[in-house]
Formats: sequence, structure tokens, C-alpha cells
Amino acid sequence: MFNPQTQKKLNRFCQIKLGYGSLIILTFILLVSLLAELLVNNRALIVKYEGTFFLPTYTAFHPGTDFGLDYSYETNYRELQKKFSNQQDGNWVLMPLVPFSPNENHTSGSQFKATAPSFEQKHFLGTDTTSRDILARLVYGTRIALFFALGFTFCVYLIGVSIGCMMGYFGGVYDLIFQRLIEIWSNIPFLYMVIIVFSVVPGDFDMTSRIGLLLLVMVLFSWTSMTYFMRTETYKQKSRDYVAAARIMGASHSRIIFHHILPNILSTLITLMPFTIVGAITAITALDFLGFGLPPPTPSLGELLKQGTANLRTAPWIIITAFSTLILLLALITFIGEALREAFDPKKFTAYR
Amino acid sequence: MLKGLLKLNLPSHLSLLLLLLISACSDSSDTEKSHDANKTPDNTAEVKAYYAANSSFFSFKNLSDLPDDLVWENGSELAEFGSPNAIKGGTQYNSLQDFPRTLRQVGPDSNGSFRRWILDDVSMSAAQAHPNNSNQFFPGLATQWAVSSKRKTTYIKLNPLARWSDGEKVTADDYLFSFFFYRSTDIVAPWYNNWYSTMYTNITKYNDYTISISIPNVKPDMYARTLSLSPTPQHFYKELGGDFVERYQWRFVPTTGAYQVKPSDIKKGRSITLSKVENWWAKDLSFWRYRFNPDRIQFNIIRDNAKVFESFLRGDLDQFGLNLAEYWYDKLADDHESVAKGYIHKTTFYNQHPRPTYGLWINSSKPILDQKEVRIGINHAANWALVIEKYFRADYERLRSTADGYGDFTHPTLTTRQFDIELALKHFALAGFTTRNEDGILINSDQQKLAFTLTTGYEALKDVLTILKEEAAKAGLELRIEVLDSTAAWKKAQEKKHDILFSAFGVGLEMYPRYWETYHSVNAYDQAFLADGSTNPDRKVKTQSNNLELVANPKIDAMIDQYRASSDKQEMISLAHKLDEALYDYASFSPGFKQSYFRTGNWRWIKYPEGFSQKHSSGPTQLFTYWIDQEMKKETLEARQSGLAFEPEIKVFDQYRQDRNRGS
Repeated sequence: MFNPQTQKKLNRFCQIKLGYGSLIILTFILLVSLLAELLVNNRALIVKYEGTFFLPTYTAFHPGTDFGLDYSYETNYRELQKKFSNQQDGNWVLMPLVPFSPNENHTSGSQFKATAPSFEQKHFLGTDTTSRDILARLVYGTRIALFFALGFTFCVYLIGVSIGCMMGYFGGVYDLIFQRLIEIWSNIPFLYMVIIVFSVVPGDFDMTSRIGLLLLVMVLFSWTSMTYFMRTETYKQKSRDYVAAARIMGASHSRIIFHHILPNILSTLITLMPFTIVGAITAITALDFLGFGLPPPTPSLGELLKQGTANLRTAPWIIITAFSTLILLLALITFIGEALREAFDPKKFTAYR
Repeated sequence: MLKGLLKLNLPSHLSLLLLLLISACSDSSDTEKSHDANKTPDNTAEVKAYYAANSSFFSFKNLSDLPDDLVWENGSELAEFGSPNAIKGGTQYNSLQDFPRTLRQVGPDSNGSFRRWILDDVSMSAAQAHPNNSNQFFPGLATQWAVSSKRKTTYIKLNPLARWSDGEKVTADDYLFSFFFYRSTDIVAPWYNNWYSTMYTNITKYNDYTISISIPNVKPDMYARTLSLSPTPQHFYKELGGDFVERYQWRFVPTTGAYQVKPSDIKKGRSITLSKVENWWAKDLSFWRYRFNPDRIQFNIIRDNAKVFESFLRGDLDQFGLNLAEYWYDKLADDHESVAKGYIHKTTFYNQHPRPTYGLWINSSKPILDQKEVRIGINHAANWALVIEKYFRADYERLRSTADGYGDFTHPTLTTRQFDIELALKHFALAGFTTRNEDGILINSDQQKLAFTLTTGYEALKDVLTILKEEAAKAGLELRIEVLDSTAAWKKAQEKKHDILFSAFGVGLEMYPRYWETYHSVNAYDQAFLADGSTNPDRKVKTQSNNLELVANPKIDAMIDQYRASSDKQEMISLAHKLDEALYDYASFSPGFKQSYFRTGNWRWIKYPEGFSQKHSSGPTQLFTYWIDQEMKKETLEARQSGLAFEPEIKVFDQYRQDRNRGS
């Protein structure tokens, strides 16, 4: 599947315990976050009612009337669970580990306010200032941030690598023009552009299109830095004999770029990737912190951080959880990055270790 | 004239806009330079010509023309307020969330939260409503005044000692000039243009210090209409022209009041400082002498409310508003060290003042929202009771209408629509929204979702909206929350682009509520109706007006016109009640919450007179009756170092508290 060179590099990566371990943990976090609805949700996993089984997690909503309740809105499964266990007539509800959605205000007391972590209430990390479960917000917020970052990296690489390689490969006027264009483009301050674009976006955009738009704007202003690396690398590779050989054999430009040059500059690409991801997570968190990211009540790390800093004294558990999560994520990705860099470094015995 | 003032409490900040602002102002100084080169314009002749052209409005007579039967008043029988023990001097430290966008008092961006510090609370009018009895007036620029209902005219004798802060005399000409100024389209302020053109019929100059002002209809609060008029410094606005907005952007308007802004105290983006006018002309005048005690009031720009609070705890700021429950109960709880040791005093003061109209302003010109049943449904789907009980910890009460808090003028029995899922569903169904989609949101037969954008500029209150959103979803209504920068949100609302706006109008102390601004069709559409009374199919939404609900109803219009023209208090009261009922029926406003008091925390060196504040005051600093005890400040700061404790002070002043259930 891989050529022996790459295989060797991958093996080397696996030998670097810190990086390899981080990758495993991060993959695990990603997988778990994909299944977040099964772990953190106010919808039940399984409801057995009158002999029928319901699996409400991924289906359309079940009005209360479906389970013999007197309201037509979404069933409150936590109360349903209590009701069934009191009645003891064979109906039962299995709730996820954390039985709260990230957006619902749930308080056992009479006020919406930040409460400290409590196993009894199943608020394992406490609640935020309006009594929303922090763990739930953290899980969903992290999921959005992670997948946003991955999507961002993919798009940035697609554009950056294509254009960068072309600049390096074709050179000449093409290179000159694109370089100037990129210089102009990259001088537009990215953060301000996001703020400006978002202040004019009509509010009736739904959540997915807003996230998509944020992604688009961020990608539009971030792909440029990739091109510099790709351009120089391609320039270097272009003068090598194997490129000349391929050209003599009649290979097309795109074949040369994508089949011959690209695999040889893969190490630069891969070592840069984790830092791009880190950058994306930081950017979306910063935007949320400043209030220009995703609209409320979308769960987000940045919003939690903001709440945390505003309530440092009265609710320290908010900042502690949000901050540790962010550090953990960024540390994992950075460890992976360092390991990749080392693994893909052709000079195996450098002082870098 | 506070009606247009949106309470800009706790706005978030766009540093970018600030940058734009700074660059804009450097532009303006450039233009100024080029103007200077072309000789400063002078409109004196133009003003004279305008007076001559409108001779029925601007009259010039002699003292002998004054009617003989006038009964002059001077308000001297009223109780003075403030404390004779007040110590003058010192610097008060305060904060602003946003650097003021302009120092102009009218025109674009002038309606911000800083305006009250240079205009509303500081500048003097002929006479002012007494904060303990809003129907009586104490003298400001006037020494005496007399009212003739028969002639619909108020006669005013100005104090010859009155001076602008630049030393110029305040004369009758400045009053006449007000009408030239506020009617000018150069100031880009349509509301003022309209008000000064329609609400007065004549101003007469008898001599330099005697004027009379007439209004078209005798109103129960005629005094408020005429006496509360402020003069406009004619000598300062000589250069008034098409470039007014830029030319006067950063020039402080001379004031008759105690505080001015010196050019050296404007540190753009960082701080702005008020300083006491040297030898202020009214410093020994009754009703004014015990107020405006600090020498300087410095506003530092702190964008984040959490940081403002931390600065306050450090002692960098003197006072902090504790209206929000989380501050009063949690962040500065009674057992907080600074409070328990008596460094910071906590005060609750029950006042009587028309309440800011917090609520959902529904734009009834938008598709789907133009159906009354949908609006009624939204009213029933808004769970304000939960917000008040759990988020505001039952500190607040439910607002009943936009005309709440006007005594007899407020409808005695009208209540609000309560949160009721069944009723909401019923009304949504009447509008065709009968089935729920897979998310539980209602859709109609055209597959349109019952989903609206809920816009607000109140970043600090966004949690209120998330609670409303979650609850509304139970009734099959989706609210998409959009939190904008306060200025951006207000702009959106003024352009009538909002679906539903969560906002409030700050309301001035007035005898009766206003309806024309917010509910008359002329402020909703250009030509709302055709000549035969039917709806104009080509009508265009009118922007830059306060009819945020786009209410256009001939019956309501007729009542508002009658209300505006009426001089009979009883008739106005009954009209106000009918209007409230009609507006309730129209259901375009979902009343939110109100607070019948204000709460504040202040360091112990900030002293207040006995009784803390006055009945109709809107906040602790509004009347400027506090003072700074600098000895005590030194003592307190030292005590904080050494850990020495003082007697804690947590006080409630409920002498003006009204019965909770009467819904003041």
C-alpha cells in the first residue's frame, strides 16, 4: 500500500511513544465525539413502553403523547424515567450516561445559576451560569471545534497545495503573478474580515450554513501561507533528475505534480498539518470568545472560556474544565505533530529528540 | 426627549469599528483644516432671514406686550435636594463600555450611552421637573415663569447670570436659535425636525431675557413641553451647514451645566473626562448648589463587564451597578470580604419611574409575522415567567405594556398573555401551522417553518434569549438568536430588517406615555393607506423611525391623533387605555420584565445624602447628589492594606416603594 520509504517513516512514527499515544487518544476522542448523542443527550437510549421499544436518539422527535403524557412537545425522558420507575408496570427508560442536552437549562433548585460538579445531579462537571450542563456543552463544543478544524485543514491544504505546487512547477510569469496576488490577499486582516462578514450575514441562516460560512471565510483568508512552503519545495524538486525523466517519458503536468513531486514533499505537508489544526481550533475558540463565532446557544469552547473568565471567583469549575480541555486537545495535536516531524525527517540522527 | 434613546447597557464592542472611527475622525480634521483655509462659514444672516421668512412662528415684541394677567411662579416652595454637607472636589472614576462615537448631541451616533453625561443629566433647561414631584418644576435657566392656558403659551424670564461654559451669555436668542437648529435638515435627525416643527406654534422674544413659547394644543403637562426646552448656543453653531455631522463630530457643545469635556481630556479609545466648569454660573443657585460635587469624572473604556467589575473590586472604579442578580447575590454577596468589612456599601433604592420597555418587538411587516394569530402565538410561547423566576431570581416583575408606570394613564386591568403551550399551539394552528416536523418545529402546508430570527444588541442578556428559545421550542416555535454589537442591532432595527427584536426604550419621566413614535402608521410606512382608507399595496417600510413593530392601523392612528390633540386629561386617560387595549389586541409586543428599583454598590468614600436618592430618579448618579470624601478614601485604602474592618452597610430605601401587585 505504501512505498517502503513511507512505510519506514510510519514505523518510525509508531516507535515514538508520545506521538503515537497521542494519536490513539485523539482518534478515540474523535470516535467518541461522533457517538456523543449516545453518551450525552436528554433523549433516552431505549424506551420500552406498552411492549414496544423506542430508540429516540437519532429519530424524529417523540411528542409526550407517544408515551401517554399530556403534551405534544418533545418528551422529557428524565421525568418519564422517574414516572415509569414509580409506576412499575413493565415500562422503562434507559438514559445516556449524561442525561442532558447542551442547550437545556436544567436546575434542581429554583434558580438558573452556576452550580458546582455533582454526581448526584449527574452534572459531572457542574453547570454554567444558566444551569446548562458543562460536560454536555464541552463534548458537543469540542466535537464542533475538532471537525471544524479538520475540515478547515483539508480545504486549506487542497487550495494551498494545488496553487503552491503549480507556482513552483510552472514558475515564470505564472509564479510572479500569483506571488503578487497572494501578497496582496494575505495582507487583508483575517480576523477583521470574519467580523465584518458576520456582521452582515442575515440572521435567518441556519446553524449548518453559518458554520459553513465561517469555514469558508476562514479558509479564504488562510490558504495563502501554505503556498509559500509548497512553492519552494516544488521548486527544489522540479530541478531533480526524476522530474526531468518523467517529463521525457511524456508524463503530463498534473501527473508529475501529483504523482512524482507531491509524495516527495509529503514530509513538509504532514509536519505542518497539526499546527494548522491547532491554529484552526484556536481561531474558532478565539472568535467565540470575542462573540463573533457561532451564534448562541451553540456549545463552544470559546463561549465556555468566556463564561469562565467572567465568573472566575464564583464558578471556577467552568474555567478549569474549559481550559483543561483546550490544553489537552492542543497538547495532543502538538505531540502528534512533533512525532510526525521527527518520523518524516530524512536525517534520522539529528539532535532533535 | 429621551424617547429615542435606546438603553445601551453592557454593549459588546467592535474594536474594528473603533478603528474605522478613528480613521474617520482623522478625515474630519483634514476637512476642517481645508474649511478653515476657505474662511469659517457664518450663518447669522441665514438665521435672520429664516426668522423673517417664518414671522408667524418667530415673533419679536417688547416687554410692554406681555399680558398683565400672568401669575408668575418660581418653584421656590419646593424642597431642595442634595445635601448641604456635600464635600466638593475629587475625581470620580467611572467606566464606559464603548468610547463615545461622537460629542455631538444630535445626529447620527449621538444617541449613545454617554449622552446623558453631557446632555440629559447635566445640561440645564428653563425649569426642570422636581425629582420628588414630577408635576412641579424648580428653576434652572429661568427665574420665573407663567402659564396661560387660554393662550396655550408659557412665558419665561431667563436668569441674566446664566452663562455657557465658554463664558458667553445665555439669552433669548439661543432659545429662538433652537428652533432654527432642530428644524435644520443638516443635523440629520428627523425626529427632532418633526418634533420642533409640529409640537410648537410660536416663540416670542420680548427682550434678551424674556421669551414666550406656544404650543398647538393645551396639554395636561404643558409645563414639561415648554419649560424643559433647552437653549442652543447660537455662537457655537455659526458654522452649521451640510457638513455638520463631520464638522462637529468631536467638538464639545458649550453647556449651561456643571461639566464640560476639554479637548485635552478626550483620549480616543482610552478615556474621556468631564471636568467642572470653572466658576460655574449656577454653583450657588438653589436646587443646583449641593449637586455636581466631584471636580472631575473620568470614564475609562473597559469593554468587558467582568473586567469592569474586577476594576471596581480593586477600587479603581467608585461605583458599580448591581441590578443583575448574579452580581447582587453571587459575585458581590453580602459575605464578600469587601462588603463584610464595610469597604463597599450595597444599596437598594425603590424608585418610581416609567420602566424601560424590555420585551420582544415583533416586526409585523414580515411574512408570517403579519398574521395576528402568529403574533398571539408568539406571545403565548414566550416564557417570561420562567426567565423572571429562575434567571432574575424573582427580583423582577413582568412588564405589562409599553405604557407601564404612568399612573392613571396606565391601563388598570390589562394583563399580559401568559406562557401557555396549548394556547400558543391553538393560535399557530389558526394561522395554518398545524404539524410538527422531525425537530418538533411547526410547519404549514407550504412546508414553511415557524422560525424567526430573534435579534438583540444586549450581549449581557443573551442568556434570557436562550431560555426563551428552549421554551418556545415546546410550542413548536423556533427562535434563532442573533446577538449583535449594540450599534449594529439598533441599526438593523432602525432599518426595520429585524424579525423579532429584543430591546428596550429608555423612557424619560413624563406624565403620560407616547404612542405616536412607536405606533403611528406614518412611522411605519411611507403612505400606509390610500385616500379611500384602504391599505396601499405599494407602501414602503419607513426606516429610521421608532415604529419597530410596523403597526399601521387606521383606528389606532385616529386614536393617537386624537390623543395628541387632546387637552383634557380624562379624555387622554381613556384614550390611552383604549390604545393599550387595541395594541394588546394587535399583539406585536411581548412585554418582558421590569425592575421597580435600582441596586448599586459603591466604595464607602462615595457619600449619598440622606434618603439616598429621590422618588423619580432613574439611577444613583442621575441627580449628581453624591460626593467624594477624599479623607475617607485614603483611610479606606489604608484599612484595606492593614485588614482593618468597618461597619458593613447594606441598605434598602423603600420609602417610595409601591405596592408590588399594583404594577406601578
